[in-house]
Amino acid sequence: MAAADKFERMMNLLAALLDARRPLTAEQIQERVAGYSSDKEAFRRTFERDKDELRDLGVPVQLATVPGTFPEQQGYLVDRRIYELPDLDLEPDEVAALRLALQAVRVGDPTAHDSESSAALWRLGGVADGSTLDVDEELATIPVDERHAVILRGVLERRVCEFDYDSSTGSSRRSVEPWRIGYERGHWYLTGYDQQRSDQRSFRLDRIGERIELGDPDSFIGPVRAPEDRDYKPWDDGSTEVQIAVLRVDADQAPWARELLGDHTVDSSDSEGTTFRVPVTSWPAFRSFLLSFLDRAELLEPLELREELIAWLTAVATETSR
Amino acid sequence: MSASLSGRQRLERALAIVPWIAGQGGTASIEEVCARFDIDAEQLQSCLTTVSMVGVYPYTPDALLDAGMEPDHVFVKLPDYFSRPLRLTPTQTFSLIAAGRALLSLPGTHADGPLARAIAKVAAATGATTAVEIDIDTAPVGVLDQLQTALAAHRCVEIEYYSYSRDSWSVRTIDPWRVQAVDGRWYLEAHCHSAEDTRLFRLDRIRELELLDQTFAPPANLAPLAIFEVSGTLPTLTLDLLPGASWVATQYPIESSTQLDGGRLRVTLAVSALPWVERLLLRLGDDAEIVAVDPTLATARADGARRVLARYLH
Repeated sequence: MAAADKFERMMNLLAALLDARRPLTAEQIQERVAGYSSDKEAFRRTFERDKDELRDLGVPVQLATVPGTFPEQQGYLVDRRIYELPDLDLEPDEVAALRLALQAVRVGDPTAHDSESSAALWRLGGVADGSTLDVDEELATIPVDERHAVILRGVLERRVCEFDYDSSTGSSRRSVEPWRIGYERGHWYLTGYDQQRSDQRSFRLDRIGERIELGDPDSFIGPVRAPEDRDYKPWDDGSTEVQIAVLRVDADQAPWARELLGDHTVDSSDSEGTTFRVPVTSWPAFRSFLLSFLDRAELLEPLELREELIAWLTAVATETSR
Repeated sequence: MSASLSGRQRLERALAIVPWIAGQGGTASIEEVCARFDIDAEQLQSCLTTVSMVGVYPYTPDALLDAGMEPDHVFVKLPDYFSRPLRLTPTQTFSLIAAGRALLSLPGTHADGPLARAIAKVAAATGATTAVEIDIDTAPVGVLDQLQTALAAHRCVEIEYYSYSRDSWSVRTIDPWRVQAVDGRWYLEAHCHSAEDTRLFRLDRIRELELLDQTFAPPANLAPLAIFEVSGTLPTLTLDLLPGASWVATQYPIESSTQLDGGRLRVTLAVSALPWVERLLLRLGDDAEIVAVDPTLATARADGARRVLARYLH
């Protein structure tokens, strides 16, 4: 019985907040919303919890000054323009396809995925019976954690994200205008505008600290150009001293090199192999990349770095086994 | 805990059902509502009974929602609030777009089909068009088309495949069982005729694929994919990694790891093929120190260096 009472009370609270022309004070809510205790303390506790649960569902419960009060009083309301899902104009086969995708691809842990999937599909009006689409097993899983939801909110609401970031040079606090999060080769990346460095940067999500602070909504304009043109590359650590590496890769390995380096780095290509010109700022990272091709790739330029590599390889090649 | 979860889901569902029925002109068949919202008739009745007691001060009949169930249909009459469902949360938007885009990269889905259209509409409405990008490595289109046919018709195929750990190309005949994505890559699980065993093939490392006339019977029950299944007793390698090389611990299966002073990490790895370890040690450069090594791997780093050096000194 208590569960039904709570359900009814929460619906009444939401109705009152949606219907309110001006913010409702806590006292007004206690008096006017059916289901609350007349005891002030008991009301407070229940109301705080109800409010948090509504926010947890995504209801935008706002706190605002009640107009014309002196001294100023604070009240609550829900802006219907923010609360309501716009009409997405989805056809039945399109919602069915979304359900299929959520069945085939699991995002995050199974329990959360199942409840978020049902909630999302219900909000879209659900899938009518008679759909022939169905999958009986997961085809893919995409790992996520709490950081994704926070950062995505930053992207969608244009809030600056502040976080600690671990890079090869140590940990530092960053302020980033978040543009996009992407999943590539098993890792998540955030691409955005790094305010300290005054340039576009990419960050690996698993190197971002748990404590992410979001700024105010609409606090930046957004990507001035499509962020696709520069993805995360370990050999570009963002410093300004760029050198061009000229790399020759054998034909059988060239497609992977091209995938990783990007089409724009291709200088020339023939039946024997492909030559790339790659802007590099972090040589240790680039050396690691090029050695992953073993003897199927060769660094042609810059000459002094080629010599350095040969000297290092010579030292290693002659080291005695232990 | 479970009571509050189910309470949350009841509220979530009611906030979706009520506007949906209202959007159908205020009435809908019980059967259809039950199918759309995963609810049975009894739960639906109870939901609507509660909804009919909801309203705003002073709770006179005109300030209440009107809802109920007739023998064959349900109805709601609403004030203008509750006429639309609640917007999607960032997590829900993210799940829809991430799952949808991942599936779109699967062999056989169409870039202009219902899924692609649905994702585009969701993304446009939530401002997420450029917010989420999912890129799962896959095979060239020609290979995928052929593979799709083979999977559907249970036809054997011959593939030309690059083994990263052995650093070599080989041609094999396989029974392709299924395709699955793990850790951002598509894998083909298959029975390999020459190995006479189950093997996983990364789609992006298949260069050629030819359909054979021969068919096979697919196995009834397939276990979840295990990408790194360390089998038997493989030779091991123990390394001390500087902070810059700690990615090794997240990228490869580690048998044991210990945190040392100065941010260093000591890890022990099982090694399945020699070229793999040569490559790893060269890539790590001076960021890794070999602590202990199986005698069969003792010269791996020097051998690898000599191989690469030969190319530079040709």
